[in-house]
Amino acid sequence: MIRNQRSEVVVAYLLILPFALTYGVLFLWPTVQMVYLSFTDAPLIGAGTWIGLENYVEMFDDRRFWTSVKNTAYFVALTVIPNTLIGLGIAMMVSRLKGWQQSVILAMFFLPYILPVSVVYRIWAWMFNLQFGIMQYPLTWIFGEKTPVFRTQWMFMPAVAFVTIWWTCGFNILLFLSGLRSISTDIYEAAALDNANRWTIFRRITWPLIWPVTALVLTIQLILQLKIFDQVYLFVQGGRPDPSMVLVQYIYSQAFQKNEGGYAAAISVALFVIVIVFSVLQFQFLRARGEK
Amino acid sequence: MSDIVLKDVSKSFGAVSVLDRVSMRIESGEFIVFLGPSGCGKSTLLRMIAGLEEVTEGEIHLGGRRVDQLPPNERGVAMVFQNYALYPHMTVRNNMSFGLQNVGTPKVEIIQRVNDAARMLEIEHLLDRKPAQLSGGQRQRVAIGRAIVRDPKAFLLDEPLSNLDAGLRVRTRLELAQLHHRIKATMIFVTHDQTEAMTLATRIVVMNNRQIEQIGTPMEVYSRPATRFVAGFVGSPAMNFVPIKSITDVGGNASISFAGQPPIHTAVPFGGLPKNNLTLGIRAEAARISQDGSGIEGVVDVVERLGERTLVYCRLPDQTTLVAEDNGVSAIQPGDAVRIALDGNVAMIFDEAGKAYHAVVQQGG
Repeated sequence: MIRNQRSEVVVAYLLILPFALTYGVLFLWPTVQMVYLSFTDAPLIGAGTWIGLENYVEMFDDRRFWTSVKNTAYFVALTVIPNTLIGLGIAMMVSRLKGWQQSVILAMFFLPYILPVSVVYRIWAWMFNLQFGIMQYPLTWIFGEKTPVFRTQWMFMPAVAFVTIWWTCGFNILLFLSGLRSISTDIYEAAALDNANRWTIFRRITWPLIWPVTALVLTIQLILQLKIFDQVYLFVQGGRPDPSMVLVQYIYSQAFQKNEGGYAAAISVALFVIVIVFSVLQFQFLRARGEK
Repeated sequence: MSDIVLKDVSKSFGAVSVLDRVSMRIESGEFIVFLGPSGCGKSTLLRMIAGLEEVTEGEIHLGGRRVDQLPPNERGVAMVFQNYALYPHMTVRNNMSFGLQNVGTPKVEIIQRVNDAARMLEIEHLLDRKPAQLSGGQRQRVAIGRAIVRDPKAFLLDEPLSNLDAGLRVRTRLELAQLHHRIKATMIFVTHDQTEAMTLATRIVVMNNRQIEQIGTPMEVYSRPATRFVAGFVGSPAMNFVPIKSITDVGGNASISFAGQPPIHTAVPFGGLPKNNLTLGIRAEAARISQDGSGIEGVVDVVERLGERTLVYCRLPDQTTLVAEDNGVSAIQPGDAVRIALDGNVAMIFDEAGKAYHAVVQQGG
């Protein structure tokens, strides 16, 4: 079909204009502003004076900054890979179900995902409640006494990671399930005729064929969990936030509690760089592995 | 020994029955074709032999061993799927070795067998490619190669040619015939294409409506179909069916006539024939456009010129359509009034239920 090239181009620009404007005003411009802010000593509201790299120099000597980096890394390690593997495992089990049974079970696994974080916090605060939480039964059985999970330092991060996995894995299950469905049943039948046992089928058929989805889930998880804030912030309420401080929480406390707008911006830039570098690196690495 | 015996095999999915008491015996080394229209149960039967579908009732024996309760891998059969079902993430070499690796075949032997099969199928240069980098015909060969390396007791092929274009289909058909001739393995081939069945099979199993209609060599099925369904399904153009008006006994054989037409003497014995609601079955090549004014009357509807012969679609006075044949060079035009000479010796008669009555087989002929 022959079309008028010029009017096509005009229409194309008109159509992307709303998005380009919104993106520019709400994302690009604030990002540029934030980077600029990180070179000033601005408070939370109002302008500051240019102080060059001072904020960054300070950041590298800030013990609490490094604690929050370490805590964030620990949380990522506790959630990203376990959440992905659990999602795949449950998806493989759900995919064996047929018809309405599959829909019901899938809905049950997906349900937590639609809850707001405040509700998730309340549910698990009750579940782990020291006096009447149901989780105290297994905890008492394991440790011999009732345990204040969110007040016990070594338990805090694993517990928040557990709740996070419970909360978010429904979405991963959904992604994996659609990936599993795209593998033709013929291939499994061919493998059955080819004497492959279950483990071989998983290792040499399902795992490699689901790999693109796995890489995607891992990357989404990584980005999401690097930005952890809500759960840690909520569960630490009433306790000492410092030992379990994560990066976004530290940014929040610097900006909104200490009125250090410029310094908070510098940490934000650091987090921004960390997210980009790690997610790009990871995705490239995973893709390269998948192509082998 | 790799003969296959089916005893009263039935299959239903829930309340829906798809196969009803199917029995047959397939000899070692035979090339059997399951032929039938979509939904007749032929693919299901093949998948039951492979072990991919459970048998609802009945027994399947393979090489003297009952296998209907065994998982697919313990039956020693290999299958070529309609869409090949190659492992998309593996190279051709790995696709072919996978089955051997799973049973712990020594590496050296795997390489040897894969190379041999690849040489036989002329896909040696493709061994390091992945399925996505192959054409349809090449994938087909890989799928066959994957079956060959396992040296199975039987090859099961589920409409393997249906995804190929016309030219390639004919070529691959020929190669399959050569392959069977060379490796002499038992092969079961499922198709709805009667040409594939006729050209490949040592015996054809014609299936319709959950049951076997007829088992026979291609020529038996073609010239002595057991039922009207088989007669109509095998052969191109399809056999003509003309309602018989009256039937008389001429020298022990049936002489029939259509409404307002001269009688036709057939070789079908008169005794044993029902007398009402009969249909004459005659192939186009036995219905020639008459040059001498004898035969039955008809008016030409459509003329198809195929080169070496001409198909003439005629309307008889009773409005039945009859396809007749004329020479390749034919002056016949639509609208012409013609006479058609029917060769009663090769005609057959069907009763109301579709059962066929044939001429007595000539001995020593």
